Amino acid sequence: MGESAILKTLAGIVGGENALSGAWAEAYSVGGVAPRMVLFPGTVEEVSEIMKAATRDSLSVLPMGSNTKRGLGDAPARADIALSVKRLGRILEHESADLVATAECGMTLAALQEGLGGKGQFLPVDPPHVKEGATLGGIIASNDSGPERLRYGTTRELLIGMKAVRADGTVFNGGAKVVKNVAGYDLPKLFVGSLGTLGILVEATFRLYPVPEYSRTCMAGFGSLEDSQAAVHALLNSDVVMTSLEHLTPALAVAAAERAGIPAKRGRYHLAVRIANVEKAVRDQMEHVRGILKNHGAEASVFEGDVENSFWSGIREFPGGASEEGRAVLKAGVVISEVPSVFKVIEMLREGGVEALASARAGNGMVMIELGGDDHALAGAIDSLRMVAESGGGTLVINDAPPGVKSAAGVWGDLGSAYGLMKRIKSGYDPLDILNPGRLV
Amino acid sequence: MKSDDKSYHTRTPGWKHAFGKKLENILGKGGVVSAGDELIAYDADALTGTRIIPMFVVLPESAAQVSAVLGLCYEEEVPFVPRGAGTGLSGGALPTEEGVVISLSRMNRILEVDIANERVVVEPGVVNINVTKAVSPYGYYYAPDPSSQVVCTIGGNVAENSGGVHCLKYGVTTNHVLGLEVVLPGGEIIETGGKTLDRPGYDLTGLVVGSEGLLGIVTKVVLRIVRKPETVKTFLAAFGRIEDAGAAVSGITARGVIPAGLEIMDNLCIRSVEEAVHAGYPVDAGSILLVELDGPAAGVEAEMPIVEDVLRENNATLIKMARDAKERDLFWKGRKNAFPAMGRVSSHYYVQDGVIPRSRLAEVLGKVEELSREYGLRVANVFHAGDGNLHPLVLYSAANEGEPERAHELAGKILRACVDAGGSITGEHGVGNDKKVYMGEMFAESDLDAMNVVRCSFDPKGLSNPGKVFPTPRTCVEQGAKPYTEHPLQKAGMGEMF
Ligand SMILES: Cc1cc2nc3c(=O)[nH]c(=O)nc-3n(C[C@H](O)[C@H](O)[C@H](O)COP(=O)(O)OP(=O)(O)OC[C@H]3O[C@@H](n4cnc5c(N)ncnc54)[C@H](O)[C@@H]3O)c2cc1C
Repeated sequence: MGESAILKTLAGIVGGENALSGAWAEAYSVGGVAPRMVLFPGTVEEVSEIMKAATRDSLSVLPMGSNTKRGLGDAPARADIALSVKRLGRILEHESADLVATAECGMTLAALQEGLGGKGQFLPVDPPHVKEGATLGGIIASNDSGPERLRYGTTRELLIGMKAVRADGTVFNGGAKVVKNVAGYDLPKLFVGSLGTLGILVEATFRLYPVPEYSRTCMAGFGSLEDSQAAVHALLNSDVVMTSLEHLTPALAVAAAERAGIPAKRGRYHLAVRIANVEKAVRDQMEHVRGILKNHGAEASVFEGDVENSFWSGIREFPGGASEEGRAVLKAGVVISEVPSVFKVIEMLREGGVEALASARAGNGMVMIELGGDDHALAGAIDSLRMVAESGGGTLVINDAPPGVKSAAGVWGDLGSAYGLMKRIKSGYDPLDILNPGRLV
Repeated sequence: MKSDDKSYHTRTPGWKHAFGKKLENILGKGGVVSAGDELIAYDADALTGTRIIPMFVVLPESAAQVSAVLGLCYEEEVPFVPRGAGTGLSGGALPTEEGVVISLSRMNRILEVDIANERVVVEPGVVNINVTKAVSPYGYYYAPDPSSQVVCTIGGNVAENSGGVHCLKYGVTTNHVLGLEVVLPGGEIIETGGKTLDRPGYDLTGLVVGSEGLLGIVTKVVLRIVRKPETVKTFLAAFGRIEDAGAAVSGITARGVIPAGLEIMDNLCIRSVEEAVHAGYPVDAGSILLVELDGPAAGVEAEMPIVEDVLRENNATLIKMARDAKERDLFWKGRKNAFPAMGRVSSHYYVQDGVIPRSRLAEVLGKVEELSREYGLRVANVFHAGDGNLHPLVLYSAANEGEPERAHELAGKILRACVDAGGSITGEHGVGNDKKVYMGEMFAESDLDAMNVVRCSFDPKGLSNPGKVFPTPRTCVEQGAKPYTEHPLQKAGMGEMF
């Protein structure tokens, strides 16, 4: 078959109005690599047909939803087809008594929450890019999360079942639609964070939670990093059940506070604590929290409502995604007590003239970092940060950066002793290496 | 490539002797069990219906020894079966004929307690309760609490992805395991995950948890520990009909309350438990429901009246709150001894483990009762009601001709009812040897194929706990990636929408 015949066949699967090519397709680039065509299948069968055709002709496929994570991972080695599941956007089942829902993976998180909200339930993940249309499939495949992870975990904890399409077009299910199930391997876990390299996620079943009735946040600035970190440990080792506990570097604290219209002192590390529960429990615990913060020399102010929501949405979206020249977005994972070591490097970088901001999910050691500078400075800064993260047993990945920085510093860092096994799994699911080739393994 | 169905060559006595010597070279004499009378102790797990005497049992003390043993097994194509405490209920640790059992009981050290970072690192033979004991002086505990927690091992918990009576709120084993060291068939030692989160690459930790020993031997486990709650309140409510208890469970979660534990027992269970441990259960009640609320004091206080309302609305005939920790422990002691207590009312019982959506409870219990009548066998019901995890106990006597088979058949029909209701054939005990025939009820061939890809990536020769989980033997096709060939689709330069 000639090239245009192949393109026509593929377009024929989804219908001409659901296929784009040439210049139109450039908007669906991943890591700066433009696909030759973009397909928007409307059914699982169409996804399967596309994958059969892709396997037949060895066409590489970039699975995506709204492509908000286009900066994540290495640039794909080849990019024939971008396959967006955006048209698979329905809630298929919501059994509110069971706190379980199944939805198609092209559904946006925002739409899902709206659909569940009527019953007072929600999927408790708060990743960035929701306003830009982050879809369930993309959130699962990137294991993206936000500050509320402290209380609820990520989709790793919440995804109980899934349907996916393999590279050769085979459709299969993993997990179940009940919250407890140990039959067979836990394939949903394998697919969480697999970045579209093992199959196309088309349906997901989640465990849900009731929307908490009342929420308050308090924020406080500390005299030193030692004090703020000591307060973190005191909070974690208290009776308080926090929804979020964020540790902000001084410059970011000011920026985030100003954005939300809250006072924040300059030059201080800040902690922000969110508690959500019934009203009385929130009030009691807030008092407890303020007491703990006071013991560490910090006076907390409490805020609520729109101010509170706007503050957390700023934290959630920090540091943003899509790459611009001269910017890098990183995520470090360290043990809780090592967060200050990462912050100290941030300080050092700032003193050395690199723009650097950071915010830590202090209760679980995830540090979100934004750097600004030329390629050379960025790559150097990433090396220093990674060294500190890894020396404490942690990791650092580049969530987004200019291509030159990615290749100089390496996106993933050391994938460890299990890398060979990961490659075997990848080639087991995708022997022709057509799914997001080169992006992760 | 060897597949599961190919029966291993009958080993000659000479070969066997030589193989035993090689094992002794790795483990020392004291690390290899080969005497017939000692091997008997390993012939089954807690599902004792099927027994197989293994060729050897080895007792390694380090990952290096495990690796050497797996290397040897790989060379000689000898299947092996990992074993923790042998409390499994699905025949997961059932030996393979002419295979080696690898008991992890000597690898029982707690390697690291890191309170500040909320992590504990253990060897697989550590008994579940000992993790909590190690951290409780600091106000922490290890959340997954299977009823067998005073004997079962973390390695077994990892393999089965075990649950417990508090997993509705706190999750099961997989939610608390962050990293593993695994010895792969062949002997390669890998680390997955670790003390920190979001490590790049595939979540192999999540894949190995719940893999029932089919992907290699776990030799180290990084656990998450959690802070003890400020307040715990436990209710015991009695109901005439078990359906009412079930409706109360749905009612509680529907009001936005997620209790730490929600457990139901029927009258048959109540009576035998009461006789066995004197937990203070009302023996004339049709069923009882245990509800445990925990968390910040004010939160629990706010939830208590909601729970009481729901219990009353659903015709509770008695609502009792544990006065203190002692009485609470007693309430739970009854529940945690529900299986063994059955020994008092029946010479034999089969523990079933199925899951249904919470909202289908009444319907499925009705079906269980029907089946019980149809088969003329008593079924006692005890279950983790909050997450719809049923444990019907099918009572029988092995002395009666054909009864064990009938009991097993009845238990199987219960599973079918669970699957029909949209549930699962196992919520926590695993598939093992016992339930592999039911896998096809829940999964299509394509689903099983997708699982087989995983198995073949870890264990191409099929040596690790073979013959378990998968309903029919599946072979591994050569997985080498075919080279990428340039396809005819060249840059088309088409700028139009189709
Ligand atoms: C009275 C009673 C109550 C129970 N209550 C519960 C309960 O509430 N919740 C629950 O979930 N279960 C329960 N169980 C089942 C059982 O206790 C669990 O499945 C437990 O996790 C098994 O642990 P074990 O150490 O005994 O493992 P074993 O029975 O020895 O082995 C279980 C499986 O794990 C594999 N395995 C063991 N160690 C390793 C290792 N290091 N690496 C790889 N694979 C390994 C074995 O091959 C086998 O497949 C109960 C059992 C009994 C008898």
